[in-house]
Amino acid sequence: MASLADELQQLFQQFSGQLEAAANEQAVRKVYADFGGANGAIRLKQKELIKSAPNDQKRVIGQATNEILQNVEAAFNAALGRLASQAEARELARSVDVTLPGRAHRLGHLHPITLARREIEAIFAQLGFTVAVGPQVETDFHNFEALAMPKDHPARDMQDTFYVAGAEGAAGEGADVVLRTHTSPVQIRTMLARKPPVRVIMPGTVYRRDDDATHSPMFNQVEGLCVDEGITFADLKGVLLHFARRFFGEEIGVRLRPSFFPFTEPSAEIDFSHGTCKGRGCRTCKNSGWIEIGGAGMVDPEVFRHVGYDSEKYTGFAFGWGIDRMAMLKYGVDNINAFFEGDVRFARQFR
Amino acid sequence: MKVSLNWLRELVDAPLDADEVANRLTLAGLEVEAREKFAPLSGVVVARVLAKRPHPDAAKLSLVDVDDGRGKTQVVCGAQNVPAAGGLVLWARPGATLPGGITLGEKPVRGIVSPGMLCAEDELGLGTSHEGILILSPADGLEPGDDFAKKLGLPDEVWEINVTPNRPDCLGHVGVAREVAALLGARLRLPSVPALTSSAPPAKVELADAEGCPRYTALVVEGVTVKPSPLAVRLRLGALGVRAISNVVDATNIMMLLWSQPLHAFDLDKLGGGGVLVRRARAGEKLMTLDDQERTLGPDDVVIADADGTGVAIGGVMGGGGSEVSSATTRLFLESAHFLPSRVRRTAKRLGLHTEAAHRFERGTDPSNCAHVARHLAATIMGVAGGKLGSSLTDAYPRPIAPVLVTLRPARTDALLGFTTKIDRQVSLLKAIGIDAIDEGAGTLRALVPTSRPDLTREVDLIEEIARLHGYDHVPATLPPLDSPPGPMRDADDVRNDAARDALRGLGLDEVVTYGFVGPEALRVFGGDEKRWVRVTNPLREEQSIMRTTLVPGLCAALARNLARDQPDVRIFEVGGIFRMTPGHPNPAEERWHAAALLHGRADGWLKPGTAVDFYDLKGAVEQLLEALGHAGEWQASKQPWLHPGIQAEIHIGGVVVGYAGQLHPAVTRALSLGAAPLVFELDLQALPAASAVVAMELPRFPAVARDLSFYIDESVTARAIREVIDGARDPLCVGVRVLEEYRGDKRPAGKKGMLWSFTYRAPDRTLTDAEVQKLHDELVARLAAKMTIERR
Repeated sequence: MASLADELQQLFQQFSGQLEAAANEQAVRKVYADFGGANGAIRLKQKELIKSAPNDQKRVIGQATNEILQNVEAAFNAALGRLASQAEARELARSVDVTLPGRAHRLGHLHPITLARREIEAIFAQLGFTVAVGPQVETDFHNFEALAMPKDHPARDMQDTFYVAGAEGAAGEGADVVLRTHTSPVQIRTMLARKPPVRVIMPGTVYRRDDDATHSPMFNQVEGLCVDEGITFADLKGVLLHFARRFFGEEIGVRLRPSFFPFTEPSAEIDFSHGTCKGRGCRTCKNSGWIEIGGAGMVDPEVFRHVGYDSEKYTGFAFGWGIDRMAMLKYGVDNINAFFEGDVRFARQFR
Repeated sequence: MKVSLNWLRELVDAPLDADEVANRLTLAGLEVEAREKFAPLSGVVVARVLAKRPHPDAAKLSLVDVDDGRGKTQVVCGAQNVPAAGGLVLWARPGATLPGGITLGEKPVRGIVSPGMLCAEDELGLGTSHEGILILSPADGLEPGDDFAKKLGLPDEVWEINVTPNRPDCLGHVGVAREVAALLGARLRLPSVPALTSSAPPAKVELADAEGCPRYTALVVEGVTVKPSPLAVRLRLGALGVRAISNVVDATNIMMLLWSQPLHAFDLDKLGGGGVLVRRARAGEKLMTLDDQERTLGPDDVVIADADGTGVAIGGVMGGGGSEVSSATTRLFLESAHFLPSRVRRTAKRLGLHTEAAHRFERGTDPSNCAHVARHLAATIMGVAGGKLGSSLTDAYPRPIAPVLVTLRPARTDALLGFTTKIDRQVSLLKAIGIDAIDEGAGTLRALVPTSRPDLTREVDLIEEIARLHGYDHVPATLPPLDSPPGPMRDADDVRNDAARDALRGLGLDEVVTYGFVGPEALRVFGGDEKRWVRVTNPLREEQSIMRTTLVPGLCAALARNLARDQPDVRIFEVGGIFRMTPGHPNPAEERWHAAALLHGRADGWLKPGTAVDFYDLKGAVEQLLEALGHAGEWQASKQPWLHPGIQAEIHIGGVVVGYAGQLHPAVTRALSLGAAPLVFELDLQALPAASAVVAMELPRFPAVARDLSFYIDESVTARAIREVIDGARDPLCVGVRVLEEYRGDKRPAGKKGMLWSFTYRAPDRTLTDAEVQKLHDELVARLAAKMTIERR
């Protein structure tokens, strides 16, 4: 019996030694399989002992050897547990340098003109204005004629115009075709297409023959139009004041100054108090405390005549300004040309 | 329009505070854009020359003894025109200040101390002349010791007023003064003009074009002496930026700046037949204008001809060279006329002659004022040049232009403006600018608008005047009621365009906006039908002469700018319009919304260098964009000449090509100087069909099992072709197919590529067993092997 116990004990010692040396789960499982598995050395030895033992001894031997197998099982589980806790300790010991930059899941950037346009649209949408757009290559009729600027009108000098040759049989054939000089033709298109009430905000690209630090031959305007019974000049002022405060901040003031546009009467220049100097006067606002933003006025009856609205029944106001100019003021951009150069360093500043 | 504050002070019967008046004018629509001091100087006195002698050490300098009424002083002078003893000059004494902030002291000039200096015109800020010191004439009425600035009312303040095209009346000081008086509630103080009667026969005028020239008044003045104007006149013109020429010409300019009525003085002795004929020009008629240019005229132009029929001036635009006043002139024929604005405008525009006269006539001068200004001019000339009337006034005015009667409903004023203005107040505001409004009862006012205000012809024009004079600052701010529900905020195009922007932005691209016009060279590179180009006929430069037909040139130009600025990692997009001629189109040109993007350089990265962007980065961006817009495109190799022949595809949706994607052709890249070839795509957003509405599907309830298949296949077989075979062979329980890898490394059979595909199996109603999946997969592989030559890896 002594040799039996010795042999098993020897095997167990071997098992324990190898288990101790096993560095990972795979090795542990292999050691276990080699000794305690169905074809493991200990099981084979057990079978051999039971087989060779006299019948009355088989039970005792079975019980004695099972005890060893239970120890094998326990040692195996302990080894797995040890490995798991080691792994966890290693994982917990790991740390990253949180101050290194993040790997790029990069968001792109929208253009400041897009951002400003959307903000303007959203502010007016709350007041019930919907967005309308129109073509950039326009007929003389929509761009000038219907806006009470017939040929030879001195006001045409205020807008230096690009002309293009239109297509055969297309609208405007035989007359002048222009790159629209303002978004106002969209007013005409809108009013020709529907009856009052009309409340639209009209963003778009426009062109004028002008090129310096504050003028680009292409720029973007937004224009608003509100026509219904009983719309007043005071309403225009209220809407502009609301817009100025939402776009630039509650402290902003609005000043309307008489001016002249052929398509509005009364007409006004829109001044906003200068947010940067808080109306105290600086170089940007030429020390006046006010910044000229755009033009506005009550729609001229002549315009209503062109679109078939009854100017006795309906009144309306219109206003417009440069989206680019708004973006320049909002983001502190000095040179309008920066908007159209496509420099990625410029583009990546806006959000 | 430049305005002298001194002159306004003469014309308004009230003390004027410069700041207040400038602000009130601005808020009344006459924007004072700039203000500057004219001749800000002090300590300059009138001095009499007593003697002069050469400087002992400098040939060009002289020593001048002057007397300023307090005694004799010796001054060193460098001018060559120092007058003889008795002449009057201007001496800036030590302590005097001149424009530009110069303060004079006593300093040695070549060894001799000079206390101050004798001044030239430019040193005093009066003009630009530095030809010698300013010498006063006895007619200027100045005595030694007189303080020059005080005597001449210097410094003056000159305002640049932005006069809108509807206000020709304010292109003269009287018009601006009328506004100031109205705003301050003061009285206008107009200069008195003598009646000027003469028993001589009227000046000889024949008016043959009364349409182009509704009124022509003329006077003859004889016996004048043409010479420089008195200093005060020259200073006034200098302040207003007008060059002084001679007493006669200066008088016509002064009168124009006063009354906004352009005038012309002819040398009567150079007018054949001793008079004028106002007629239409003959087709092709030539006339030499004052600026020595020969002009070719046509019947739309008004010509002032002499009585013999020879053209001597272009009516309302510019005088002729042959009849101008010279120093030898003694007899003047003075013209004060009214020309039809539209005719003057067309003539001036065609000839490119935007003269001060044309500027006023094309906006509309006051026809009622012609005779009055003619008399004022004659009287002024006789005051400075002597002479006497040589004719009585001729007034050719066949169809007098009457003041306009406008009916104004005060209630309409209130309805349009949104606040109440009492009727009395409306009447008094109009009265202040010379409009007599009589309350007719029954809610109407009858307003008589003077001819000086051609812009006021309708009720609404008067309402604007009331609002303007009342002050826009006093208009309340209200919000318009929203009585009917608004429509959708945007139309489908607009929604889709912004969705595309958001998607591309989310994919890490930066939005750019580039010019709508490009140059023919840049565009030609990208092909297309040049006959359909929309061409700008008057571009600023050739690179901005064609409306773009594609967004790619703009993106390439932006890349080039970034490369020049050392920014090679560029991922940009634009959503914008393209243009082409389309016969029969409802708009002058067809405009379509496109989206395009350009990738260049390396992806962002810091642990390892970013990898260069490639076609699949581009394709991934397009696929995600299309997915965001509700579409999936089919990709086919394509043959755009501007793209790399082997790295390009056209994108099909619903059987239509909606765009291209690929790497720029090396030759194009070279032509555009772009360094490495960028990847670009462009989609015609309007070619995309309307996306179907989203209907959420039920999520699968049973697990899926994946099986992979790795094989070699001929290099030439596309993923799409393989996919088509797979789709034809797979069981409905194979619910997903995708490519995991394409291998073109070294360890592959010649002419073959390795591929790894993954297949997903799932039943809708139960969990598939391993054995079932294996069977399905083995059957699929067998069918594929039967249809394609594949070699299992």
